[in-house]
Amino acid sequence: MNIPPNEPGTVGPCPVAPDALQGIKRQQTNPARWQGEGWAQFAAAARAGGIDLAEGAVSCGPYATDAGGIAYGLPHGAVVARSAGQVAALLGLAQAHRVPVTVRGGGLTTEGESVAYGGVLLDMTGMSRVLAIDAEAMTVRTEAGIYWHALAEELRRENLDYLSAPLNLTSSVGGTLGVGGIDVNSARLGCSADQAVSLQVVTPTGEIVECSDTQNAELFQRVILGYGQFGVITAATLKVRPYTPLRMQYYYYSSLRKAIEDLQMLDRNDASDYSGILTIKDCAVNLLVAFDSDEREAAFRKTWKSRLRGYGEFGFALCMAGHYALRPWRMGEAFYLLRRKREVFPEFRRAEYMRDGKMHDRTVVYSRAVWKHWGSRNMVIPDLATTADRFVEAVERGNAVCRKYFGCYTLYCVGIRLRPDHAPHYEMSCIPPAAEGWAYGCEFEPMIEGRVYSRDHFQSFKNAIYDIGVEMGASYYRFGGMMKGYIRRVFGDALVDRHLAMKRKADPAMILNRDVIF
Amino acid sequence: MFGAFSGKPAAPRSHADCSGCSLCVLVCPMWRRSRDLRFSAEGIAKALQCGAAAADLVQPLDACCLCGACDPVCPEGIDLSGLIMDLRRSLPAPAPRPALLDELEARLRREPSAAEASRTAPLLLPGPELRGDSGLLARVRTLLGLAAVEDDGADIALALELGVAIPPQRLGSFLASLQGHTIVAADGLLLRQLRRWLPGSRRMGLGAALASRPAVRGRLGAGDLYVIEPRAYHADYERMVAFYDRLQTETGCALSLDLQRIAIPPAAPGLAQKLGLSAADDTQQAKWLLQGRRPARIVVESIADRGAFGRVCDIQVVHVAELAQDPDLR
Repeated sequence: MNIPPNEPGTVGPCPVAPDALQGIKRQQTNPARWQGEGWAQFAAAARAGGIDLAEGAVSCGPYATDAGGIAYGLPHGAVVARSAGQVAALLGLAQAHRVPVTVRGGGLTTEGESVAYGGVLLDMTGMSRVLAIDAEAMTVRTEAGIYWHALAEELRRENLDYLSAPLNLTSSVGGTLGVGGIDVNSARLGCSADQAVSLQVVTPTGEIVECSDTQNAELFQRVILGYGQFGVITAATLKVRPYTPLRMQYYYYSSLRKAIEDLQMLDRNDASDYSGILTIKDCAVNLLVAFDSDEREAAFRKTWKSRLRGYGEFGFALCMAGHYALRPWRMGEAFYLLRRKREVFPEFRRAEYMRDGKMHDRTVVYSRAVWKHWGSRNMVIPDLATTADRFVEAVERGNAVCRKYFGCYTLYCVGIRLRPDHAPHYEMSCIPPAAEGWAYGCEFEPMIEGRVYSRDHFQSFKNAIYDIGVEMGASYYRFGGMMKGYIRRVFGDALVDRHLAMKRKADPAMILNRDVIF
Repeated sequence: MFGAFSGKPAAPRSHADCSGCSLCVLVCPMWRRSRDLRFSAEGIAKALQCGAAAADLVQPLDACCLCGACDPVCPEGIDLSGLIMDLRRSLPAPAPRPALLDELEARLRREPSAAEASRTAPLLLPGPELRGDSGLLARVRTLLGLAAVEDDGADIALALELGVAIPPQRLGSFLASLQGHTIVAADGLLLRQLRRWLPGSRRMGLGAALASRPAVRGRLGAGDLYVIEPRAYHADYERMVAFYDRLQTETGCALSLDLQRIAIPPAAPGLAQKLGLSAADDTQQAKWLLQGRRPARIVVESIADRGAFGRVCDIQVVHVAELAQDPDLR
């Protein structure tokens, strides 16, 4: 069967839609490699302009894949970002020579969004310095290639902290603002993208523009949560807050539904500063809550704790012992739970991060644990984002898919507080259009643990999860790259075509991150 | 069923296992200086995955200061600094060949010396810098109650650093002289390798050994910034992170650790600086260590770190052994 590649700047028929490829196993949707037309002239012009464009295995090898480890591609050359002026010159030249530019921050995409299939790979981590901390205005101005961890390091020296960031310290600020950024305090403080006060953006045609809700607002709306389609974020002003250690509490459930209902009850009532669900399969469901202050924790204990239906660690262990004693044929699952508990729990209680029962530097603790116990050379993390009222159904259906495809997996669920004034930002993003007040997201992550699965197996799994989203009118965090075939089905032709028209206007040669969305 | 107990395979991990998480990048001094992924353990591992050879990686291999910060943070358990040392050994010597390399190779070929101590006495391997300060060495010896051995493996430590092959005979005789002893070593890189060469032996870094002494510990306070020697710390991370956490809790001193509890080296000289081919390391690391901190005094475990701070601030800098007023008080 001959399937012609899509022309850049078009969104073709979905190759994984129910009415496509009837009877044929669904395939993953890697884009074709850009063939390098005019590369030599472009490279010469870039070097003549003082841009350090590196070629070869040493320079391009580190960018061959992303955190997903499934999409592979090499750029023709790599450029380490050094200044907005340099990025502007690069994009201007790329536009003139029609050379694709793929922008990479921490490279923590899983669908190949930060993998360059030819053209230039622009590594933004070269621009990773904190420019100014304003402790009075409680803001920080930083270059956007900075890792959240590096930002946390600098803020901590001033006893400050960011508001919310992904539980992965090697995400970059710019990359996060482009897609959302979900933390366990997002149910209270919103996604990371909502903490951006203003941005310096280099447009696809090479203009350097400052934008915010009041200045060049339309560009701001498109760049925030814009999946890198409308510009490269080179600097950002973010809100910050005083640093506080936090006190964690864990509640254990054997029912996903009960845990989610309790999570949403806490979120609706602003009962905790942090909340989220992390599971071992669907057998051990951990609702974590945490507090920035003793007062908030005391209020929780007084009013909300008794309403939670989860157990403490000891009580849950007794429950599980009884459960598996009656079901000896499932002892393998019990052993797996025990092993995960033995491996993972100590990571969250390391003495050097605990003082007086409070956890310091939570994102370091989480991030190191995530990579150590969930990380792998291959990672697929399909997700569903829904309105609050449909979230239980989405998670339960997604969980059934996980059980079908993988022996072991983890679910991670959080709420995202929405800002009504940022509704334009959320258009064609992970935030479902019908969401009001909160949106809820669940990541479905199989535990690979050295096992080998085919790319088809992974893709089929992701498709099965994403099909649920289509049916439910949900959205996704990771709808770009290899999953972009779902964009029209989820967002509809009218919205996609409107954004495509805006993209064509902003990026006439369609050079910027061309394989991510459009 | 019992397969459920097996976690990640325990086999030695190589560059092929790098998943690209970038946790090593966050702690890498050469990345901090260059802000270029190629100058990091991840960059090296990923380039190797894409078919690069050691000769293609001369710049990052030379720039690495072998602080070992990348090792404990790697979630895959890859011996990243060991990988870099192995690659360095496979590189040709720089041209023109520095005289230091010829001198070192001559030292490594020398006849082994006879054993100097009883089979069980603890040994102090002071290294050339401490040997060069006889007053401080005497104070260290008194505080620890140890004699400094003549053959402290300084040539082996330097060979490890410069990527020079160590003749098996020389290494064998050195290790034989250490068998059965408790070892206190000033050189963190040597200590790191002794952990591999003499598994089961009792070893400790000089700084940690001194900081264990009540006469030293009792003189640390809230105004002090205690600067840990990174190589020894990272080589025995799980034990050392607990040790220094207790030190901080008990004394109130600040530690030279980042948020990942990784030791920030005050200086990060690469191979060219070690070979004397270029000037001393820049001041960026020491400035970063001091950023946002206002200590009344800086306490260093490594003599070399005195100079690094001297170039960027006028805060009093003392060696940890100098804290004890009366060295006879152990």
